[in-house]
Amino acid sequence: MSSLLNTLGKHFPECSKGDLIPILQHVQHQEGYIPSNTIREISEYLNISCSTIYGVATFYSQFKFNPPGRHSIKICLGTACHVQGGDFILSALQMEIGITPGSTTEDGRFDLERVACLGCCAIAPVMMVDNDIHSRLSVIKLRQILSNYE
Amino acid sequence: MKSDKGIYISVEIDGKQIQVPEGSTVLDAATSAGIYIPTLCYLKGLKSYGGCRLCIVEIKNMIGYPTACTTPVTNEMEISTKSPELQSIRREILELILSEHPYSCLICNDKKECQDFMYTTRKVTVTTGCNFCTSNGGCELQDLVEYLDLKDIRFPITYRNVQAIKNNPFYDLDYNLCILCGRCVRICNEERYSGVLAFVQRGNSTLVGTAFGESQIEAGCEYCGACVDVCPTGSLSEKMGSWVGVPTDSTTSTCILCSVGCRMNINTKGNRIVNIGPRPGKRTEPDQLCIRGKFIPADITHHPERIIKPLINKNGAWLEITWDQAIDIITKHFKEFSGNDFGIIGSAHDTIENSYALQKFCRVVMGSNNIDLSPTYNDRSLFKKVHGFQPVGIDEIIGFDAIFIIGSNASVSHPIIENRVRKAYHHDAKIITAHSHLNRTYQFSNERIIYHPGSENIFLLQILKDLKTAQNIKFPKDISDALKLIDKKHASTATGIKQAQIRKIIESLAPAKKILIIAGDTLFKSSSSNDNFNLLSNIHFALNKFADCGMMFLVDDGNRFGATYTGMHPEYLPGFLEVRNGEKKWSEAWGIDISPVSGLSTDEMISNLPGNNFKSLFLKGDLPDHEKLNELEFFVQQNMFITETSKYADILLPAYCFTESNGHIINIERNLKQINPAVHAPEFIKPTWQILSNISRKLKNKSFQYRKTNEIYEEITAKLDLSIDKTSRKTSKFVLSMPDIKIPLKKRKIEMIPEPDYFLYQGNSMSKLIPDMKQLIDKKGGKHG
Repeated sequence: MSSLLNTLGKHFPECSKGDLIPILQHVQHQEGYIPSNTIREISEYLNISCSTIYGVATFYSQFKFNPPGRHSIKICLGTACHVQGGDFILSALQMEIGITPGSTTEDGRFDLERVACLGCCAIAPVMMVDNDIHSRLSVIKLRQILSNYE
Repeated sequence: MKSDKGIYISVEIDGKQIQVPEGSTVLDAATSAGIYIPTLCYLKGLKSYGGCRLCIVEIKNMIGYPTACTTPVTNEMEISTKSPELQSIRREILELILSEHPYSCLICNDKKECQDFMYTTRKVTVTTGCNFCTSNGGCELQDLVEYLDLKDIRFPITYRNVQAIKNNPFYDLDYNLCILCGRCVRICNEERYSGVLAFVQRGNSTLVGTAFGESQIEAGCEYCGACVDVCPTGSLSEKMGSWVGVPTDSTTSTCILCSVGCRMNINTKGNRIVNIGPRPGKRTEPDQLCIRGKFIPADITHHPERIIKPLINKNGAWLEITWDQAIDIITKHFKEFSGNDFGIIGSAHDTIENSYALQKFCRVVMGSNNIDLSPTYNDRSLFKKVHGFQPVGIDEIIGFDAIFIIGSNASVSHPIIENRVRKAYHHDAKIITAHSHLNRTYQFSNERIIYHPGSENIFLLQILKDLKTAQNIKFPKDISDALKLIDKKHASTATGIKQAQIRKIIESLAPAKKILIIAGDTLFKSSSSNDNFNLLSNIHFALNKFADCGMMFLVDDGNRFGATYTGMHPEYLPGFLEVRNGEKKWSEAWGIDISPVSGLSTDEMISNLPGNNFKSLFLKGDLPDHEKLNELEFFVQQNMFITETSKYADILLPAYCFTESNGHIINIERNLKQINPAVHAPEFIKPTWQILSNISRKLKNKSFQYRKTNEIYEEITAKLDLSIDKTSRKTSKFVLSMPDIKIPLKKRKIEMIPEPDYFLYQGNSMSKLIPDMKQLIDKKGGKHG
């Protein structure tokens, strides 16, 4: 608990309210997500209420509130993927692993996130699992792809 | 409207030429010209937000439609507020807002007849008015739909379908009705500094909420009710009074539950309090209330356990009797026990009229000086001494550069005063908080001191000693000599406060031009009360040498000062005239000889029973259960409820609640404030002064006869100046009493002062009587100290 406060003191000695986002980024970098108790610690450190910090953090999609899974799935819902049926892929995926975007499966195997574009519109619809791009997805292909990740 | 330089500029609004101070907004200008501009997110006193876009106007030579609430006026500005185009855009904006708000009540064809036909007794399948929203009839959206003449909403409707939050003791939150105007979020953060509410998520999924969806109480809600007061829709609604309908009457009165004495609007329908707060009528002054003013009065006034008829104790069972019987019995016994056998214990939550009547009855009719309040302060002369200081206005607090707040849990005991301290903190005042345990105020402090419980006096000595050396202040010789004897090390061990911390306090005080000392009542509830007072006065004296120093005493209970001032004291007659001096003023006024012997205090009356010749007691309100009360030969209690103490009473009389009373109180600023009845008391309840008059009539005493509250008020004001002079007066010389600090810490007697229960009304514990309050206190469980 206090180790976070110590590092905060080291990295952000000015204790100014403007440090909130850099601190959240720092925590996310260290922990992989923003645990609820760190919000409390940041609140004490910066003298900003927990609700306000949570409000700021939820505004930016870069901040996560669940511990990351062993594998991260990023599903693209950019224009091209959307046109090619990205929504169907997302709902099929949600059904398959049983979680909604922004959360992690109970067994910690996958976490799911929706993104706006992965930069490979030519092979839409796409998703990214860890660092692998899977292109021209179909609902049938999904299960097979997922089975490669334990 | 703020005008810093006092420069006025001329603008033209809808063809009307007006002069407005420079720096005001277009909305301010329009309001001052009596021109209505529709708004939703705007709230006077909060920073303009420009969120709802309804206040858009057209300004010549300005592109687009700027919002009136955020645009400052410039010279010769030409503003148009009501062109058909503007109204059409406004209509569209409102449509967009309503596409996310259930609006059946807004555009229903039958809405005009709805209110009239809602209350049908037919049990047939006809829809007789829909009740989707507790705010029906009092909703600002309904007013706007009416104003903009909106007939239909053309956009697809989204229903958020979030669950209403009902886990709150005092209010419900239904965010399906929320239009995200942000008033609640802003008032919670900018005005109350509670930081409970925030906008969470973004875009379509934005909602008002707390971190991780925790409950309000976990998020540190203080239940000030400000968010409920400002909500323009039914999204936030009080539990008490929801679904009752729109209040038809509003009475402005004064809250008696703490000594701040906030003005409040009690909104009623029939003989029932619907809610307390701003609507209808003006917003409360000062701007908001606290948990007590906002939520408690309705609960106690309409409490199901309230007694409404005189009761007699027949071997433990309560039997109803008539007033005549009750008065007869009381008179019979009071005849036996007049003089020093008799005493009255009153309440500090009572009007000055009742207090004056009680003490006059005791002295004039019963011939006894045994009159006191409950609970009392150890130091009997405290209030006379407090009277020697110039009072500080609550709204003046914000103007101080440094505030030293000691021995107080003000966020609970005096939330409105603590709110001003928070404001001062955000206006860069230096706040120094010292108390024996952590509380909410520490969050708004620059210096945070926690001393050992019971060591307040030594801590004050530490301050005084350092202040003397640092500022080179010349004290009278006896005090300087005494201060020289203090060993800094011993003092540090006793309080747990290091010398460096003391130095830091002095350093923060030194540059200040205006310093305020706020002394909490734990300082005066301990046995070293007298020492603490003297030390504080000396610190006040020292600070006054280099700065303008104000002093505020956070005494508890609504009218404690007023009651003491009007004579509810065993040693003082009204106006702090001492009984033992045999002052002529009151004996002449009342036409009797007042015994020059001081009476018994509350503690002396009870703790010396039996054996002190004290036999009969009249109690207004309640006392903590004390088995010695059983020794009384005759005991009358006048209270709203049957309590633990009532089992010792022979006669129990019903009492008025302050929401039903007429009268005045004197608050912490020593201002006289009026209490007005908002509802009628149940039929068989009589005010205290009337009961006393009836008894006096039976006793054939002609000097105590009142028919109206006003007669008492006139009698008081004829003899006593209630508009208390607030100009500076000379503080008398204070003696420094020295606490012994050389006793090692281990051998020191530790005096624990339990945090007083601030949620009392006339001695009755509100947390016991009101289940919601109990829930709140149980849940808090010391989390916030």
